[in-house]
Amino acid sequence: MHHLKIIGAFLKISSQAELAYRVNFWIRLLHSLLNLVTGVLSLVVIFNQVEVIRGWDMPGALAILGVYLLLGALRSLFIGPSLESVAGMDGEIWTGTYDFTLLRPLDQQFLISFRHWRIFAFVDFTMALGVLIYAQILLDTQLSLAMVLSFTLMLLAAVTLLYAVLLAFSALVFWNPGFLFTWVINDLFQLARYPVGLYPGWLRLMLTWIIPVGLMTTIPAQALVGTLTPWMLVLTLAFTIGTFLLATWLFRQGLKKYASASS
Amino acid sequence: MNHRGGWELIKNTWQSWIQHRGFFFLLAFGWMLPLLVYLFIWSDAAGEGTIAGLTQEKLAGYYLILILVNQLTYATTNWTVGDHIRLGQISRWLLQPMSPIYHAISQEIAGKVVFMLFSVPITGLLALIIRPQINLSWQQGLLFVPAITLAWGLRFFWGYWLALLAFWATRADSLLALQDTMIFLLGGHLAPISLLPRGMQILALVLPFRYMSAFPVEVLTGQLDRGETLVGFIIQLGWTITAVALYRLVWTRGVRRYEAIGG
Repeated sequence: MHHLKIIGAFLKISSQAELAYRVNFWIRLLHSLLNLVTGVLSLVVIFNQVEVIRGWDMPGALAILGVYLLLGALRSLFIGPSLESVAGMDGEIWTGTYDFTLLRPLDQQFLISFRHWRIFAFVDFTMALGVLIYAQILLDTQLSLAMVLSFTLMLLAAVTLLYAVLLAFSALVFWNPGFLFTWVINDLFQLARYPVGLYPGWLRLMLTWIIPVGLMTTIPAQALVGTLTPWMLVLTLAFTIGTFLLATWLFRQGLKKYASASS
Repeated sequence: MNHRGGWELIKNTWQSWIQHRGFFFLLAFGWMLPLLVYLFIWSDAAGEGTIAGLTQEKLAGYYLILILVNQLTYATTNWTVGDHIRLGQISRWLLQPMSPIYHAISQEIAGKVVFMLFSVPITGLLALIIRPQINLSWQQGLLFVPAITLAWGLRFFWGYWLALLAFWATRADSLLALQDTMIFLLGGHLAPISLLPRGMQILALVLPFRYMSAFPVEVLTGQLDRGETLVGFIIQLGWTITAVALYRLVWTRGVRRYEAIGG
């Protein structure tokens, strides 16, 4: 309860700061629309030439795009802004202002993961849901309760995975403060727009098990299309828990390395 | 005009950028990835055969060259010009005894050198893995030089006049995002122009965006016959002249309107 209250307070402060810039709202809306239009138009252009890519037809690929946009929205809602403020460009670890964060009487990992929110991402979230619903209509399959449950479960796993990977890469900044490790993930995340099966062997393995951005979108979309095997579902869950624990451990190790930045 | 001062500025900027190369390598990496995604999509679509007359190897050649051409023509400075105007930093440039455009050009040259230090070896490595087929002739190589020079000029001045709108509107940089989206859709990134649906193809041929990125690649890889090349050059030159004229107009009007606040 206590933690939820704190999240509420963070959310309130962040939204008050964001709502002060009203013109920004329209600019952000333009960017979100551009993102959506490019995504959908890309699929239109591709499926104008081919019927399937690696076993995914247009509705299936649209489902992947929906999951991709949904994850992107959640990332820019709080995971991204929170971790970037610590490990991003001019982040606290680099500038040394992390000293003040360390002094807060709260679990460090919780604090740096939920501190900053961008409520505008709710608009992106709604757009992504729209894409998913549209994909579902095109798919024309009977949705069973089991499918909805496994889709929700896999989506939660995907968000956790995304969070864990970003946390792990943020933790690396403790060892090498000058490098923007989180940007590497943001770049690689673009590869998750399309089914992971598209990429050549070595890249596919890397995007599935090492930097699992491919897993994050392909697996939930498989659950929605109905091609996800129970075995893969269990494996994904186990893998997610493992990655989360590993990232947490890495962050704790990194924290010990922190030595401020005074000169 | 003081060209010697300009040259000193160019050398200075170049040396300072080389120091921060890690950051610029990361940027170059991020620009490369989306193009690689579409390289994989279209190679997969072509399979063992051809798609719109292009084999897998030719598509690979097209996209690998496009990665380099895109980075050579991408004008990163346009993103910072607006900030300089907003924050009043161009006051200092206006007082210097040389044209302020030297500041943009020096950053352009510095950027290209640093980006190529990263991208040329990486594309070379990729070429070893995916084995592209590029039929080079000396005529194509000769025509490539004016094509890419004009492409750079067009993309730079087009973005520059958009950025200079910051004299009137604070968030003019959104127009640059729009420009990037148009280049992605109509500039041969999402698909080689010949693979686009009919309507988009016509737009691509008429609007300036193809001439900022795909056109030099098409010239170099010999995708165009003599007539298409000639028409392409005429349109490219026309748009470049338009862009320079717009830049001069917006600059003279804007600078008269400019006033800095504070000290």
